[in-house]
Amino acid sequence: MNPEEIKNLFDRRLGRYQAAIALEPVDRMPIACGSNYFAEVYSGNDHQTTVYNQEKWLEAEKIFIRDFPEVDVLRDNRIYAPLFDVVNCRTYRMPGRDLEANTWFQFVEKENMKADEYDLLIENPTAFMLERYLPRVLGDFAEPGSHRAQVALLKGGMAFAQMGQVMRNRGLTLEKECGMPQPTAGFFLAPFDVIADAFRGLNGVVMDMFRKPDKLRAACDALVDEMVNMALVTADPLKRYPIFVPTHKPMFLSPSQFEEFYWPSFKKTILTLLDAGHNVRAYLEGDWSKHWHHIKELPKGRVVCDIDDQADILKALDDIGGHQCLAGGVLSSMLILEKPKAVKERVKLLCEAAGKDKHLLINGGCNIPHDTKAENYRAMLDAICEFGIYDPSLKPMPKTPPKPVNDVGPRMLTSWEERVDEWGGIRGEESLIRQPWELFEKLAYVWIWSWVS
Amino acid sequence: MGSEIAQLLSELREDEVIAKVKSELEAGTDPNTILEMCQEGMVLVGDRFEEGEYFISELMMSGEIFNQISEILAPGLTGTGGTKSGKIVFGTVQGDIHDIGKNLVVGLLRASNFDVIDLGVDVPPEKFVEALKETGAPVLALSGLLTIAFDAMKATVKAVEDAGLRDGVKIVLGGAPVDDTVVAYAGADAAGGDAQHGVKLCKKWFNV
Repeated sequence: MNPEEIKNLFDRRLGRYQAAIALEPVDRMPIACGSNYFAEVYSGNDHQTTVYNQEKWLEAEKIFIRDFPEVDVLRDNRIYAPLFDVVNCRTYRMPGRDLEANTWFQFVEKENMKADEYDLLIENPTAFMLERYLPRVLGDFAEPGSHRAQVALLKGGMAFAQMGQVMRNRGLTLEKECGMPQPTAGFFLAPFDVIADAFRGLNGVVMDMFRKPDKLRAACDALVDEMVNMALVTADPLKRYPIFVPTHKPMFLSPSQFEEFYWPSFKKTILTLLDAGHNVRAYLEGDWSKHWHHIKELPKGRVVCDIDDQADILKALDDIGGHQCLAGGVLSSMLILEKPKAVKERVKLLCEAAGKDKHLLINGGCNIPHDTKAENYRAMLDAICEFGIYDPSLKPMPKTPPKPVNDVGPRMLTSWEERVDEWGGIRGEESLIRQPWELFEKLAYVWIWSWVS
Repeated sequence: MGSEIAQLLSELREDEVIAKVKSELEAGTDPNTILEMCQEGMVLVGDRFEEGEYFISELMMSGEIFNQISEILAPGLTGTGGTKSGKIVFGTVQGDIHDIGKNLVVGLLRASNFDVIDLGVDVPPEKFVEALKETGAPVLALSGLLTIAFDAMKATVKAVEDAGLRDGVKIVLGGAPVDDTVVAYAGADAAGGDAQHGVKLCKKWFNV
């Protein structure tokens, strides 16, 4: 393909994905999975290679795109193990390091914040990160100020910058060589999940809901601006792709707990990002059926919702379909254990249930598992191309992002004004100095917060 | 009196139920009797879960309160704290290190008076077989959150078969991705469903 053909292909794929998100007519249902673990290993890489060898990523993606050209978006790898190794972060177990080389990376949930530390978290979240959380989760930062800790910060920063460069190049290569957009760019967590996943653990946060509800609510509120900042700094500056948020703990909460502790700060975070002109893609992990009516409180056609295996996608289509674009419907056990015929029948049923009006992205429950059978994935794509055709005459084009209605500046540890004050003023052109200075300050700030995920 | 402790526990009134347990102890009530009242309370919690009034967080809180009370009562309990309902070998299968679901169900089973042998996470098939042989437990519960657990569950069931133990052991699978397709693939007997359903299933198997 020549560059113009590649650009047309990119526009057609992205336009189709964006139209579905906006609940507008499409030529066919987009094939738009978020976390495609299957794509990472389809080329034959084992799991250790996938998390340790950046050079293999693009190779694997190109092979996948060659064999499954119907796919409309393909995400990047999320985990690069050396980012964790350089600071001796132990929140993940890594294939080849602490697990068998061909096992997945796995998150280890621990209590990294004590029940009596809420006041510091509420008062100054970043001080809490630097003084309490990071020394507990980054082994080489256990004694801040030690030689190891100083070098760990240096290595951590360098690895973070290098990873950013690799991701940028990879995104550009996929766009310019393969015409392939991404399902999401940028990342944040619901404030409650920051506390539950990273700080207190599920057990701790459940006890806190009963024992110190006021503190927990206040802490969730205090984390809204931090999560908004992390999302905006890591998002696609061109706003082509929704920002990704995996939700983890609602499946454990009663509707009243969800309404009291989870939803208010999560909703506020999402609304701020939408006001900034971005869309959001949320994984509703586990069974959200008791909570998902709240999704209707968000503006229509701005938040893609992935429905997990444990929830009923048909009920989701009934309850919130047509208000947001939904994704999911093919169980993990089906992709891994069943035959192509069963997959085809499932896709047909889903296409009929969704119709043209309730936009659906047929997908696994929040992901395509590593161990998906290739023939089942192929059957899923073929069936979507057979039963998910709506109006072949349509050619949706990429959209211009909505104008932001708010202007959220990046958060920093030391503001530019404070720095200039310390210097006693600037003699030449201020913007020449300010811009790069703020860029690094902003990235360092996000690096601190990146450890909650 | 007994029903008050059960009632307070079932309403998750932590401070009040613990105070009540302490005052009963001071008044000379047999710790074994108090433990039974608490078990009664846990049954009420289970009922509320099944009725859709309680969710997993309430099950966890009830388990936390029950554990605190068990510690208070421990010194005064006779023998093992009453006759156990039966033995269950439990663990997260090889390759998977997730334990939230497993720990929750283990806690609920223990509160229902089962003797649970918890082997932890990332447990290889031979360790399950060894534990079944050592304990003679007639129920094996396998947990897993990742889909790689499907093969590990199948391998574990096969190891139990190869050891000649399969006829005397019922095998239940639990974890988010487990459904009937997985049960059939692994050659197990049942899917645990949610935590409370898993406990009910064990009670049924043991005729408790």
